[in-house]
Amino acid sequence: MKPLLFFVLFCTSAGVIFAQTTVRGTVTSAGEPLIGVSVQATGTTTGAVTDVDGSYQISLPSGIDSLSFSYVGFQPHTVFVGNRTIVDVVLEEATEILTQVVVVGYGVQQKNDLTGAVAVVEAKDLGDIPTQNLGQALQGKVAGLQIIPTSGAPGAGAVFRIRGIGTLNDADPLFVVDGMIVNDINFINPRDVESVSVLKDASSTAIYGARGANGVIIVTTKQGSARDGGINVSAYTGSQEVVNTIDLVNATQYATLINEADLNEGRTPRYPNPDSFGVGTNWQDEVFNTAPIVNLAVGFSGGNERSTFNLTADYFRQEGIISGSEFDRFTTRINTTQKIKNWLTIGGNVSLIYNTSDNVNAGGILLGAYRSDPLTPAIEEDGSFGNTAINGNTGNPVATIFYANNESQSYRAVGNVFGEVKFLRHFTFRTNFGLDFVYSRNRNFTPVFEVSAIQRNEESRINAFNSYRRNWLWENTVAYQQTIGQHAFDAIVGLTYQDNFGEFLSGSRENLIGEDPSFLYLNSGEPLTSLASGGIFGGDWGLESYLGRINYTFDNRYLLTLSGRIDGSSRFGESNRYGFFPSVGLGWNLSNEDFWNPDGIISRLKLRGSWGQTGNDRIGNYSYTALVTSGLGAVFGPNEDLLQGSTLTQLANPNIRWEETSQVDLGVELGLFQNKLLLEVDAYRRVTDGVLFAAAIPDYLGASAPTRNISEVLNEGIDLKIEWRETTAGGFTYRIGGNASFIDNEVLKVDDLDSDLFAGGLGVGGQLGTNSRAGFPIGAFFGYELDGVFQNADELERFAQLGTQQIGDLRFRDQNGDGVITADGDRVVLGAAIPDLIVGFNGYFAYGGFDFSFDLIGQFGNEVINAKKMARFGAYNFETSFLDRWTGEGTSNTEPRVTFAGPNLENLSTRFVEDGSYIRLRNIQLGYTLPASLTSRLKLRELRVYVSGTNLWTDQEYSGYNPEIFNGSVFDNGIDRGTIYPIAKTVNVGIDLKF
Amino acid sequence: MKLIKVLIVVLAFGLAQSCSDILDRTPQGEYTLDNFFQNEEQAIQAINAIYAQLRNWEVHVFSYIGMTDIISDDSDKGSFPADAFFLQELDDFTYTATNVAPSSVWSGYYDGIFRANLAIANLPEVPELDEQLQERLIGEAKFLRAYFYFSLVRWFGDVPLITEPFPDEFSLPRTPAEQVYQQVITDLMDAAAVLPEKSEYPAIDLGRATKGAANGILAKVYLTRGEFDLALNAANTVINSQEYDLFPNYNNLFREQGENSEESIFEVQTAAFETGGGGSQYNEVQGVRGEPNLGWGFNRPSDDLISAYELGDPRREATILYVGEVLPDGSDIVQDNPNIVGERFNQKAWVPEHPGGNGNGPGNIRILRFADILLVAAEAANETGDPGATLENLNRVRARARGNSSVLPDVTTTNQSDLRLAIWRERRVELALEQQRWFDLVRQGRAAEVMQALGKDFVEAKHELFPIPQGEIDLSQGALSQNPGY
Repeated sequence: MKPLLFFVLFCTSAGVIFAQTTVRGTVTSAGEPLIGVSVQATGTTTGAVTDVDGSYQISLPSGIDSLSFSYVGFQPHTVFVGNRTIVDVVLEEATEILTQVVVVGYGVQQKNDLTGAVAVVEAKDLGDIPTQNLGQALQGKVAGLQIIPTSGAPGAGAVFRIRGIGTLNDADPLFVVDGMIVNDINFINPRDVESVSVLKDASSTAIYGARGANGVIIVTTKQGSARDGGINVSAYTGSQEVVNTIDLVNATQYATLINEADLNEGRTPRYPNPDSFGVGTNWQDEVFNTAPIVNLAVGFSGGNERSTFNLTADYFRQEGIISGSEFDRFTTRINTTQKIKNWLTIGGNVSLIYNTSDNVNAGGILLGAYRSDPLTPAIEEDGSFGNTAINGNTGNPVATIFYANNESQSYRAVGNVFGEVKFLRHFTFRTNFGLDFVYSRNRNFTPVFEVSAIQRNEESRINAFNSYRRNWLWENTVAYQQTIGQHAFDAIVGLTYQDNFGEFLSGSRENLIGEDPSFLYLNSGEPLTSLASGGIFGGDWGLESYLGRINYTFDNRYLLTLSGRIDGSSRFGESNRYGFFPSVGLGWNLSNEDFWNPDGIISRLKLRGSWGQTGNDRIGNYSYTALVTSGLGAVFGPNEDLLQGSTLTQLANPNIRWEETSQVDLGVELGLFQNKLLLEVDAYRRVTDGVLFAAAIPDYLGASAPTRNISEVLNEGIDLKIEWRETTAGGFTYRIGGNASFIDNEVLKVDDLDSDLFAGGLGVGGQLGTNSRAGFPIGAFFGYELDGVFQNADELERFAQLGTQQIGDLRFRDQNGDGVITADGDRVVLGAAIPDLIVGFNGYFAYGGFDFSFDLIGQFGNEVINAKKMARFGAYNFETSFLDRWTGEGTSNTEPRVTFAGPNLENLSTRFVEDGSYIRLRNIQLGYTLPASLTSRLKLRELRVYVSGTNLWTDQEYSGYNPEIFNGSVFDNGIDRGTIYPIAKTVNVGIDLKF
Repeated sequence: MKLIKVLIVVLAFGLAQSCSDILDRTPQGEYTLDNFFQNEEQAIQAINAIYAQLRNWEVHVFSYIGMTDIISDDSDKGSFPADAFFLQELDDFTYTATNVAPSSVWSGYYDGIFRANLAIANLPEVPELDEQLQERLIGEAKFLRAYFYFSLVRWFGDVPLITEPFPDEFSLPRTPAEQVYQQVITDLMDAAAVLPEKSEYPAIDLGRATKGAANGILAKVYLTRGEFDLALNAANTVINSQEYDLFPNYNNLFREQGENSEESIFEVQTAAFETGGGGSQYNEVQGVRGEPNLGWGFNRPSDDLISAYELGDPRREATILYVGEVLPDGSDIVQDNPNIVGERFNQKAWVPEHPGGNGNGPGNIRILRFADILLVAAEAANETGDPGATLENLNRVRARARGNSSVLPDVTTTNQSDLRLAIWRERRVELALEQQRWFDLVRQGRAAEVMQALGKDFVEAKHELFPIPQGEIDLSQGALSQNPGY
């Protein structure tokens, strides 16, 4: 091992003949030595470079009394030497705005030259949150970007929402990884990420045309470089446990409440002596456990002027906090470039990913733990599973875990290769071919077992599911770059093609000849029980696109960006096959004007504005054509044969096209106190029209309504980012930053008839919990407003009832005053899952080898429907809130008497709508980097150890596990049916080594 | 060198053009209208899909029974008091334009009409389709279209008459009932002209629409319109075809052995498979609720129906299933369910088992049987002044019902109005709980009289027709008008 890849260079000049002073010292930043800093006698060509310890030595020509230090990524610094012979210098990191290069669609731009709203998260800002998922690592980092963890299951991903929800359909942004357009970024190892750009406004997203409407996330992975080549080894291990548990009653309280419900429903109480049951079973303790998490990564990188490479391998293993679940992932990546000729560069970025997971039926287990009565033990004394069906009409969750045998694997290759040709001096041609291939399989085996009448399986069964999806992209672009005096031009045109296709095959059989793992194949089952299916998986579509952009800058003061894309999509009807998506962006760097005093309080000021149109092409693969429905069989003949029948049952819409979003964005970028304080504010208004919706048509037309481009959605808001960063003379470096996203989401139009748009099943009698009609936010919770509890016969007489109610029942507000509570007249908006405000607040502090960082995240103004509390199909266990029940006049005006069913439980009302606001300490970390002197003796470049904690503290009102509830459809979020795998809090210790 | 570089660029873009067919896709694993209706198999499948609609929940199950039997004097709602309250509203004549039942049948019957229209429009274009088969298939589609419209026009009066699959306008007004009837008659005559007789079909096609079925429905159409000459003529065509006869045992007519019997002119074919599918919920919704638990217990035979039978009429026992009665297959005894008052069930809809789930009933739904046609002939003959033919047809039905017993003596009067009443009563008991009663009452112009006598809030000149579903009026952007009184 030769860590001395860098060596000191001494340069002498003609100045040698004069009298000289030798000056030496070290250059550091944040307590770390800086290697390769250029040191120059100011105004001369005499210079030196710092070595691996950050030391330098330079001969100062006489007459020269100052030294200039410069280093990429740091602010240049000039020091007066005077009589000193030792000059130690602390360099400050360049305030990024001046030099920061931002990855945008099909290119890079200086942050200063941007006219669009693009937020960048760099590797160091991603921190060391121990997660395998980039999405989860981004939570709270970007104003205007909401990240919702899909669940806390090992290996789970995250959902991205940029600037609200701009459609009634799929609201995911577009994901681009090193130029390859992919369906998700769950496969990316966060350690491999160099930067993430979040494209929010139309000026930045229009170049993605028909797919830019919901924003774009561009991930750029780390390339090798000549400067910091070497070997990196990182490892951490930790322990996870559930963030919080739900407050449920104990056995004595349970029996008391059941007795009361019996009485209230006119039956004899079933438990003569509730106190005798004591505390009973805590089912949540039975299903949650403390689970380990481990990560080990090794990376090699390096290069020279002609080639670079970066090779990483990463192993991640996470057991779940619900016993029986586990996720293992092995990721490799190789990024390489080679300058074959001065005019020709080739390269590639390729990642191979293998992961495997043991799955449990989290929904069933969580509901089982929530519903099972505390009287029944998890496991009886004779070793059998407790029968929770007798009291609670629910499955024993411990048995569910025990009998789970479900595993999946996924093999994925994602990457791209490219070639670049420079020609005619100002032009660069680039051709890029990318491929994303995923093969996934799942196998579920259900053995024969019997726990209770409702939890048993009579025939062993195996289900197998195999699928593949492939997606290729070929892009050809020509870029042009030229500066003529004060005019700077930067333009690109391109032609791209993309094609996506996939298939699945699945089957099942029963009565396996054996239950060992070696028999878990379809062939082990009885052929007569065979079922099979197969078809398209993950979409069948093609895209042909023409794109272009011109950036023009005049004197670094006035900025203009024109961009656009023509997208032709196989998903669009013939009459609307091609869509054009234009945008314009304008910027003004006020602080570059002559009249501006850069030494004033306001060191930097930029104004920008943009307008543009983008599309959402996720409208289904074949919506434009009339599909024939099969399976409409009819019976004929003496043998009663079911003969095939097929016909149209849905009207087609041959004119179907993309959903179109128009967005206006106004932004201010502000730097104060020599850019130590940075502020960025954007206000936006995005209106999506032509949102696809199968607006009802008269039934006399005899077929289902075609999806039509008919609805409209509005998102307005403000993205705010503030950051203070400083390195003091004493070597103390710190950054404090925050971001806030204010969102106002509203459906402007559903259809021409101003229809209700009900969705969001609550699991009780087909009841729907959300209504997205015009004027409401998407997925607004829709139910009865609570007015109190009927305290006595007089109140029962006086106030409106829902059906026939009794004293002690919930009293709903008679909104229309017609003296009766009805679904049509008295339901109102009770809340929504979309927060009004999302915030992130983070800090980083470093001094003398120690570093400390934290991330706080929060959201406010969103609500949750606690739907699991509504659905009671047996004598389920109770949340402790039931203990505040009405038991007689004046005892409660919010919690009704206890019943097993009826309007108190079965109708959505304020009773089940809870505040979903929270603040969470997402991450906290303390690290120590050994001094360079020590590490160099160990032949290491760097050694850092750290301890970190994730989700250690949360302040939330919500009674469930986590108020961030994503259920897939935009109409369905925020409804807690008790089935989402809870997130964990984690404590980790880790080590990072650089050789 | 410059040239090479420029060439590379030009070549790459040129090559890229070879991808230009990337946008042309064919839906995978699914036919579209563009590649369907291309062969005989698909032509037959499109027709089968119309028949499939006959087993549909909206067409011949819940609301259908509500709007034919429950609303009439033959039955009450049944089941628990609060269960499916919208059907109670039918029984009580308190329903409004937002009641589920009218909108449900409206939707189901128009779905069938769409499928028929699609087939009728596309079958002539199917390449290399045997001409005779094509004629027959179109005949079947027209028969089914007529059947759907005949029900709609009787329930709602004027309805939008749509005979194209894709009308240019989505907002369509109601067509006068007279025009709808003319279309029904034309379709049935077209169908009768090309459809084979029951005996002319190959066995595997048992259950398809026949010439006899077309003529039989036509007879009922004419009867409904008071065109008694034409009705008699059409009914006699069926009677004289020698294709049909009365099934000897009235009770067994509704069991599996009575399916597709010599008496059957048209019935919805069902078969319940263990793996699911093939059946209908017709049996389940009328099945015994309680012990043995076979269904939901709707369509409870009314006291008035019980009292309508002549003394000893065996058809009463064959029609009504009482608590304590042994099931028709002798497998069990109907137990009393304390939550239901006055439990009784429609025995004609009873089936011994539901393979593949309770919702999968195997009992064929009898739409038109020979006894009905004999009574149509009797009624038409009476109205046209032919008491001989009237008595012959009427007594033929009574004789079968009587069997070997001495009840139900032949009717002998030749007084036209006495005969009319006798025929009407005979229709009621012979066809009880077979979803004929309401249409008969309205057709006979005495719905108000009969229902009001039972204390129902029947409003004359209103309740003879159901309201046009309010949702349809809204969605038609006001093109549809409402029936009077709603």
